[in-house]
Parts: sequence; structure tokens; C-alpha cells
Amino acid sequence: MNIPTMIFLRGYLKLTVRGEHVEAFINALAEAGTPVWDVRPTGTHSAEFKLLLNDFKGLRPLLKRTGCRSRILERHGLPFRALRLLKRKVFVVGVVMFFAILMALSSMVWNVSVEGNETIASEDILEVAKQEGVYPYQWIFRLKSLDKLSTNLTTRLPGTSWVGVERNGTSIRIQVVEASVPKKPELLSPRHLVSTSDAVITYIYAEKGVPKVQINSRVKKGDILISGILGDTENAKSVVAKGEVKGLVWHEYEIEVPLVKKRKIYTGEASKKSYLVLGNRAVQLWGYGDVPFEKHETLTIYDPLTWRSRALPIGWMTEKVMEVSESSQTVTEEEAKKEGLEGAYRDILAKYGSETRLVSQKILHDKKENGKVYMKVLFEVEETIAKELPIVYNQGE
Amino acid sequence: MSRISRKLQKWTQEMLDLPQDLLFDLPRLTLIGNKELHIENHRGVRHFSADKLILSLTQGTMEITGSGLSIRAIQSSEVTVEGTINNIQYIGTGERP
Repeated sequence: MNIPTMIFLRGYLKLTVRGEHVEAFINALAEAGTPVWDVRPTGTHSAEFKLLLNDFKGLRPLLKRTGCRSRILERHGLPFRALRLLKRKVFVVGVVMFFAILMALSSMVWNVSVEGNETIASEDILEVAKQEGVYPYQWIFRLKSLDKLSTNLTTRLPGTSWVGVERNGTSIRIQVVEASVPKKPELLSPRHLVSTSDAVITYIYAEKGVPKVQINSRVKKGDILISGILGDTENAKSVVAKGEVKGLVWHEYEIEVPLVKKRKIYTGEASKKSYLVLGNRAVQLWGYGDVPFEKHETLTIYDPLTWRSRALPIGWMTEKVMEVSESSQTVTEEEAKKEGLEGAYRDILAKYGSETRLVSQKILHDKKENGKVYMKVLFEVEETIAKELPIVYNQGE
Repeated sequence: MSRISRKLQKWTQEMLDLPQDLLFDLPRLTLIGNKELHIENHRGVRHFSADKLILSLTQGTMEITGSGLSIRAIQSSEVTVEGTINNIQYIGTGERP
């Protein structure tokens, strides 16, 4: 109840008092306001009690005044324990060592990491950093200032535009920003430019190499258009031929176009059927009854249960039955022909490049049969005909 | 304390319905079973042994008998007694206020 707080931390004593006037001594204690507790009489002229370590010094005048003698019976609390521990030398040394080692280890660089390098090897950067005094097991207090390290590393590392050094506890992070170097030109082996098909040259421009043909000359497939070999036979040098060659080329197409076009249109009406799928069986649950549509198409959607991207043999299947109405459209012969020619031209553009230009077209033959128009057409187009051919040395002897 | 002031005190106490221990320095006892006794307004320990405790009061003394008595805590005017309490007796408080 009236025992002081934190007696263990402050330390307390158990005393025994002997004398003629023990009661007087207890009264004196109470008057002085010294907190005592567990006062227990042990005989007619003696009592034992407990009090705080701090109050022990103030006890002597009271004892003298009342003519009592005191003796310490027990000592309790942290101050006494600490004293006892401090007497053990090795223990104290151990505690001191623990903190010393902790301090030492936490003031060491343990880890150096490099980030952001793509072409420069991390080992090279670490080597340069080591010369600047940044390496594992180095004392942190022996490091230069981070700003200085940053500028030093930037000047010592070629190919970097900035190097940042950052310390986070016992680890050091070197951030590298590499200077961007202009791209090297692509390496090509020496080559000729040859023709892709039989043609009449309409345009030739040689950026590199010797042009072997003139405008309006006829070439066959595989003929050299721009040669990659410079000089005469004695002083020859092979280069990468480069240039642009265009020529007139003929393409023959056989076209057939139907005169009646059939078209399917979804009316928007639909009915649904739902199935529960177990293994390879499906049980229909909803959507029984005849399909109410005259013509229809069915769209099946299967949705299996999945567990971590693995399909389970249980699932849900829905069939959407959609109503379809068919309509047919008759086109005239003229329209059918026009459509066929346009289709053929689009095919040429797709095959020979978008720079292809239609020069002329000629319908060689056409007939109308079985509701279809058959045509044979000759297209004359201007297109790029150059193709690379590598120059091979020592081919045969 | 003169007779007039004592009468005045008694009158105030009766009129204002104040507790007596405040005005007349009478002891206030809190007894918990027969195990613990808390006494306020005592005037010191006269005798203290394991089976007898005599406390002096403003008027007379109080004798507490029992077995295994011990003082749990003591202050200048309060005392807490632990142990088995058998008897509490007032001695020498004959005068009627």
C-alpha cells in the first residue's frame, strides 16, 4: 500500500534494530518521513524492517538520538546486483568488448555495389573505386567525402558522364550513368546489286559501285545491275554496292469474279444454351427447345475452371445461337471486271512494294461462264528490281 | 483548548454535519477483516511487539492485540498494521467531548 515504487531498481535493505527504545526509533522514522515497510518485531527490544538504499545514510542521527544499533541483514535490488557483476572482471571486459566490436563492425564498409552500367564491367568500376579507397572492410571514417569520390570516379572512369556515390549504413552504392556513344555503322560484306526479274530499266542511280546497265536496256533475272567490284582486273577492289534501280516488269493475272454475291447478315436475334461440362461430357442446363430461327450460326464459348493457370475438367459452356439472314446481290459484268482488276492491282502492291506504279494494263481474254467472269490480264508496272548478291572470292579455281 | 472554543467547534460540527475526525483530531480506523488495520491520526508508537501494539492518540492510547503483528508502512500520522487482529481497545479516553 504505502511501499515506495520501483524498489527493485532503487535498491533496498533489510535492517535489524536493537535498543531500549525501538518504538521511539520507529516514531522518529515516521516523523522524519522516511518510508519504511514490513516492520516486524523480533523480540522485546529489537525489530526488523526494510527501507530504501537512499535513506540509509539519514539513519545514523536517528539511531544516535534514540540509542539503537542497526545491522544490515539483506541487500536487494539492482544497485547491489550491478556491484556484484562489476566485481567479475571478465564479465565487465566482455560487455565492453561487445560494444567495442559492435561499434567497429558498424563503422566498416561491408558491401560495395555498382548500378546502372551496361557496357563498362562492374569489376573495372570496383577496381577504380578500390584505388580511390572504396572497398569492403574499409573504415567508413577513412573514406573521402562522397562528393569528392563522385567527381574523382567520374574523371577516372572513361565513358561515363556521371558517377554517384551513396552510403547507406555499411553499404556503398555506386551509380553510373554512361555517356552515350554514337552508333557505329553496320558492317556489310561486299556485294553486287542484281535484278530480281526480267525487266526494262527505267531508272538507275548508283550511290556506290559501278552501274552496268543504262536506262531502256533489257535485263534478265540475275543480271548484275550495279557491280561491287571497282577498278580493272589488275587493281580490283570490292565494295558494298548501293543504289536504286527501277524497271518495267510484266505480270500476268488470271482473275475470276462471281456475278452474284451472297452475303450473310446477323439479325441480332439470338438464343442461349448453357452446359455444365464434366470431363468430356456436357450437361445442358438451360436453353431447351427447338431453335426458333430458320437459318442460324452457333458460337461456342467454353470457360473451364482454372487453378493457377491449370484448366480443371469442370467448366461452363455457353452456345449462342444467332439468327442469320442471307441476301444475294447481282452485279453487272462491268462492275465485276472492275472489281477483279482492282483486286489484282492491290495484290501487286502488296507483293512488290508500295512504290510500284502501274504503267498499263491489258485484258488479254475474258469470258462469262457459270455466273462468273473469267479474265486474263497483263499488267505493266514500274517497280524496284535491285537485290543484293554477296561477292564470293576464290570460287573454284 | 478553551471551553468556549470547544463548544463552538461542537456547534459547527453539528450544524454543518462535518465528520468528527476532521475537527477533533480523532483517530479514523479502517479495519479489513481481522487481517489489516489502517489508522489515521495517531501520535506515535508506544509499544510494539508481535502480539501487542500500543499507539498514542491525541487523547489516551489505543491497544491492539493479536498475533504476528507487523507494521506494513508508517508515516507521521498514519500507520498500517498487518497480522491477525483480535482486539482493539481504547484506554484513557474517558473525557466526554
